[in-house]
Amino acid sequence: MTISVTRHPSPVAWFLAAGMVLFFAVPDGRAQPNGVQHASDFTSVEYFEPPHQQQIKSRLSGAEAQPQAGGLLVIKQLKLETFNENAKPEIIVNAPECVYDTFNRVASSPGHLKAQTGDGKFRVEGDGFLWRQNDSFLTISNHVHTVIENTMK
Amino acid sequence: MKICLAGALALANGGVVRAQTNAAVFAAKATNAVVKAVLPAATNTARVVPPPKPRQMTLISSDSWDFDMTGHKVIYHGHVHVDDPAMKLTCEWLTADLPDSGERMTNIVAITNVVIDFTDDKGQTMHATGERAVYAYGVQDGVTNETVTLTGQPELDSAQGKSTGDVIVWNRTSNHLNISNPKMVFRQNLGGAATGTNLPAATNPPTAAPR
Repeated sequence: MTISVTRHPSPVAWFLAAGMVLFFAVPDGRAQPNGVQHASDFTSVEYFEPPHQQQIKSRLSGAEAQPQAGGLLVIKQLKLETFNENAKPEIIVNAPECVYDTFNRVASSPGHLKAQTGDGKFRVEGDGFLWRQNDSFLTISNHVHTVIENTMK
Repeated sequence: MKICLAGALALANGGVVRAQTNAAVFAAKATNAVVKAVLPAATNTARVVPPPKPRQMTLISSDSWDFDMTGHKVIYHGHVHVDDPAMKLTCEWLTADLPDSGERMTNIVAITNVVIDFTDDKGQTMHATGERAVYAYGVQDGVTNETVTLTGQPELDSAQGKSTGDVIVWNRTSNHLNISNPKMVFRQNLGGAATGTNLPAATNPPTAAPR
């Protein structure tokens, strides 16, 4: 089942939106003891503040989200896209799996992560990452490799 | 990334000739004569298109990496290695402003045990060390300014000798070096530079000295 959620202008960033989707817009009905249920093929969209409220600021999607104890969500096939106010893609992040802490709004994983700019000219990947939603700060912990394409004058 | 220290970056790629028929696209580094031999006479509409801009790769590896998405700033930590077509750089900490799409990096700072190996426009290999290197690029009033500033006991080693000073500024636009409070030790050209041994003159006396 696919969920699409749009949030008009909201300071709340994508992960919180995703968390709300997963907590309240439950798709496949498997009940969990704490009321949080499994979701699949979800998408969450956040929009800019006015006057760009029609433009998507970020879009988070995942193939699966499994709630865990303590407000944690295990998200599989994570994809995050951010856009600028002209609707140009800025950053695209892909990770096979991560754990999102809905209370602290932090996502992390010991696994692999790939990120690239919208034009694909800056690509980075590595193992183990931490994403802090509050200040939009991404850390890759190990084995970082970057490729930058230069188009010469 | 354009931490490039050498000026001759543009590749002299051969012209690419493209010719299209209904069935296929031929693309080759070839002369028109070759293309004509391939294409049927009726579709001999080969047109020369400008060669695509060469794409060069810069590779950066490190132990860890931070990305401030709000400030568009990336930071590399630990065993940072930059492998650029124009140079190789190692350091312990490197930060750069990530430009908007299609634009180039304008500010890069490398800190701690900075080592840069590069080749200048004349093909001369240089080895630079220091505690801090700052790359800056900007265009003001139509004038491009591109510099690399090395500080923290900077040294510049080349076939001609070793230069030290308080600050070494490489103006990439004019390909000019500016060293403040310079101290230079020139190598005597006794064959060492030519053979790559680069031994100091004092330890490399002439072998055929008259008795």
